Amino acid sequence: MCPLAELPPGAMRLVEHGDVKIGVFNCDGTLYAIEDRCSHDDGPLAEGEFDTASCTVECPRHGSLFDLTTGRPKTLPAYAPVRTFATAVVDDTIVLEV
Amino acid sequence: MATPEAVAEKRELAGINADYKEKFGFHDPESGYAYKAPKGLSREVVESISEYKDEPQWMRDFRLKALEHFESRPTPNWGGNLGQIDFEDIHYFVRASDKNSRDWSEVPDDIKNTFDRLGIPEAERKFLSGVGAQYESEVVYHQVNEKLEAQGVIFTDMDTALREHEDLVRQYWATVIPPNDNKLAALNSAVWSGGSFVYVPAGVKVEMPLQAYFRINTENMGQFERTLIIAEEGSDVHYIEGCTAPVYSTDSLHSAVVEIVAKPSSRVRYTTVQNWSQNVYNLVTKRAVAEEKATMEWVDCNLGSKLTMKYPSIYLLGPEAHGEILSIAFAGEGQHQDAGGKIIHAAPRTSSSIFSKSISKDGGRSTYRGLLEVADGASESRSKVVCDALLLDEDSRSDTYPTIRIGENDADVGHEATVSKIGDEQIFYLQSHGLDEEEASKMIVNGFIEPVTKELPMEYAVELNRLIELQMEGSIG
Repeated sequence: MCPLAELPPGAMRLVEHGDVKIGVFNCDGTLYAIEDRCSHDDGPLAEGEFDTASCTVECPRHGSLFDLTTGRPKTLPAYAPVRTFATAVVDDTIVLEV
Repeated sequence: MATPEAVAEKRELAGINADYKEKFGFHDPESGYAYKAPKGLSREVVESISEYKDEPQWMRDFRLKALEHFESRPTPNWGGNLGQIDFEDIHYFVRASDKNSRDWSEVPDDIKNTFDRLGIPEAERKFLSGVGAQYESEVVYHQVNEKLEAQGVIFTDMDTALREHEDLVRQYWATVIPPNDNKLAALNSAVWSGGSFVYVPAGVKVEMPLQAYFRINTENMGQFERTLIIAEEGSDVHYIEGCTAPVYSTDSLHSAVVEIVAKPSSRVRYTTVQNWSQNVYNLVTKRAVAEEKATMEWVDCNLGSKLTMKYPSIYLLGPEAHGEILSIAFAGEGQHQDAGGKIIHAAPRTSSSIFSKSISKDGGRSTYRGLLEVADGASESRSKVVCDALLLDEDSRSDTYPTIRIGENDADVGHEATVSKIGDEQIFYLQSHGLDEEEASKMIVNGFIEPVTKELPMEYAVELNRLIELQMEGSIG
């Protein structure tokens, strides 16, 4: 995806793989990746407010808070999880498993 | 030329809320008020509310963030006409009294007299487990049965709950309705004040209802209470709310947020008898989650207000959870009741029903707006939606906007909708059985709304009882 140095703690980057948009987040040194699509109304999700302390992202449209570690919503109106993707760092480069 | 039946019917219906001004529409002097914010909404107003309440920083941040959401969102252009609301012509915070008492004798005389006229203290003595009385922005009286307190039941106003049970409040706060869920929820989140906090420990059954009564007194007032109910596993509680306001020529705004968490095998019933005066915009967000085998029931009666937009929702998140919405709307001259309900089946073997009844007369408009969703994975779920509308004259209007989304092939979902008018043939048929015209009209309307009114705990409060009798039995039928 990119060198690890380009995604420091607290940062998020959007990447595309085919038709799928994926948000990759650095939560205090641990990487998480979720699909950029809220399960509530299919709106964009990853560019919502990212809280590194709780490792959550808030959907900018209706406020559902998603746990980046599981993809599960912690608040309504979303109730279904979003897709998550495995991440790894290989030779200082972030790798996504899609 | 009107038929004799129509004349009789009109005579009966003319009395609905005709005495509102005398019974509920009076107002008290404001000379003893502790604080009244100037009109208008700003960051300073929001900060001053938080400062007055001496809130923790997280709540102040929550309010300010919500204000940004409110300001960045357009006013909804669906449902009723919200274009006439001037958000800068509203008092967002009015403190009538400096204290919240547990003894009616400590409540300022004017306020106590108002609640006496509304029958609240009397109802408390006779029928209730606990009472909260909100006057303007804050709760002025709160009391709960000592036995319930000993069992760990918490029933207090939301401001007190935030001070005394901060961790519990914070755990659930805005998890059901986030501040940017919608524009009005954002407004409430920014300027909320008062409302109820209810916590029922596991296994505790609250036998008699808890009641909150909301009263607006000031002109151009905004009331933004916030209610949170948490029913732990296997518990049972019935919460009832009522509301009235003085009759003014200018508009007021009521915009509440109600969040309910029904844990496994619990049961929560939330009954509303909304009778705001016809200068009040009533724009409310109510939502509940029902976990495994829990039952959530909304009984929602909308009689007053200029415009109501309210769609109580239930998210059935656990297997075998059950949800029910009983909605009745009465729209008279100058009123628009845009009501309904939403149920989302998000787990297997969940069940639900929505029964909506609306009556429109004298050019009033009632709307049913609802959502029934069976999500992917909610297998073997069942639901029934029934919407019935009764039009009492040619000038009135009824609309139905049902949305149904089914994500499982084995879901069992039914939807029925009817619109009817009281007809000469119905009157004639009943007359042939010995009733006179007036009795026939009464019987038809009574039969129409009976499935909902039978669910109302008529005895729980003198004022609400009187109101229902007046509007549903004495006047309509």
